[in-house]
Amino acid sequence: MLKNILMFLVTVFITTFLLVSQTTISNLMWLSSLDMPVNASIVVTSIFHDLISMNTQGEIPVAGLVASGMVIAFIVARITLIWIPIKRRYVYAFAGGAALLMIVLLMPLAFYNLDLLAGARSTLGKLFLVISGVLGGYFFGANLTTKEN
Amino acid sequence: MNLVKTVLILFGLAFSTMIFSQQHETSYELETLVENLDYPWGAVFLSEDEILVTELSGALRVIKSGKLLPEPVKGVPNVLFAEQGGLSDIALHPEFQSNRLIYLSFSESDADQNNLNTLKVIRGRLEDNTLQNIKTIFRATPLRKTAIHYGARLLFLPDGTLLITSGDGFNYREQAQYLNNHFGKILRVNDDGSIPEDNPYVSVEGALPEIWSYGHRNLQGLSMNSDGTLIFAHEHGPMGGDELNIIEPRNNYGWPAISYGIDYSGALISPFTEHAGMEQPQKYWFPSIAPSGMTYYDGDLFPDWKGSLFISAMVPGDVRRITLDGENVMTEEILFNNIGRIRNIITAPDGSLLLATDGNEGKLIRVVPSLSDE
Repeated sequence: MLKNILMFLVTVFITTFLLVSQTTISNLMWLSSLDMPVNASIVVTSIFHDLISMNTQGEIPVAGLVASGMVIAFIVARITLIWIPIKRRYVYAFAGGAALLMIVLLMPLAFYNLDLLAGARSTLGKLFLVISGVLGGYFFGANLTTKEN
Repeated sequence: MNLVKTVLILFGLAFSTMIFSQQHETSYELETLVENLDYPWGAVFLSEDEILVTELSGALRVIKSGKLLPEPVKGVPNVLFAEQGGLSDIALHPEFQSNRLIYLSFSESDADQNNLNTLKVIRGRLEDNTLQNIKTIFRATPLRKTAIHYGARLLFLPDGTLLITSGDGFNYREQAQYLNNHFGKILRVNDDGSIPEDNPYVSVEGALPEIWSYGHRNLQGLSMNSDGTLIFAHEHGPMGGDELNIIEPRNNYGWPAISYGIDYSGALISPFTEHAGMEQPQKYWFPSIAPSGMTYYDGDLFPDWKGSLFISAMVPGDVRRITLDGENVMTEEILFNNIGRIRNIITAPDGSLLLATDGNEGKLIRVVPSLSDE
């Protein structure tokens, strides 16, 4: 049980890290297209800044948002696994992707059509965030200590 | 005993200094002129005792001799009243007394695509409490999904051209750096909506000819000094980074490539605060004050305030008096910080200041010299 909780926290961290990195890097790529002096050092410090700041200074702590979405999605995945014999890692991967998809689709509805996650404004950005959820979910499903159905 | 005397003398000196400094503060009183306005936004004086006020929900209200008339002005177009959108600013034509033309900015849903909207400016002739001969002066392109960050301030320049602020639409912030759209721009048009020939990007291929300056976020304050040689604009930053700028044609004010604020998610919008070819603000605020309106004070009622910029602010709700030395900001004084969020501030013809408080129980409050001074 303790290991599974730890795995869940690692999953949230991985997904949050990917989400934050996508936000930071998409911003920096645009700045670079304007010939702003973006270099490796700025990329690293900006990602580090955003990892801290998006969890402490933003309207909603992004790790909390990811964790909330994944708790719901993983509970549904666990129930699904009782009835449908699919490899666990794929079900959790799907659940992780669905959690992130809901976050990027529902957040604008809650905030006046505004994409608070700047990286989620484009279709490609949304897709990347969903893939982040899929990877997080896959990691969780692959590392659960309970027996595979 | 000597020690007691010395302490008393020092105390006396300190006390007299306090009195002396208080005598040099401008004393004023706040008089509530009108209550129960529905999100008042823009206001102009038609004469000493007649004011037109826009309500964001779509009505243009008349205040005559201190009384709010029950009937709003008829003929005002339907507006999109949603989030920050609605009937916004109002400006009088420089020759209003003879031609009765007024200008209104507002957000409007697109007729063909109802989920999209835009910023629009119209003019009409005010006759018998009705707006007539309405003509579209400006319509921002492209259309947008979001109903915030319209800008929508209007200001006539001494040459008779009209400046319009157009916000970045929030989701479209990067567009503020490109000249092929109206997001995040100050625009300049003639009084009939045509393009002035001396606009800075008229002959630049791919650039929209109305553009006067670019790289802005959400400009809700626009004012100029007495002789019209300095144009001041302020804009909302994100979390921090509200700016006061002096606007010159063709300039790039940097948003969102440079900023002193961070995104609402907490993410950096840009790690840069300066860059070649992008203007620095005269002043910026961190944390944000949510600047919402501005007037350059040139009245006679408060001689100590002459030449100051007054900026209304919604967070936490006050007015910032900015003193200037030429183009440079010298000091900032916080005033009127006990009446809530202040949506706008204008100077009345008699030199008093008029404040509009925000919300669906908005008030107009007049700032006049304190009677106790007389």
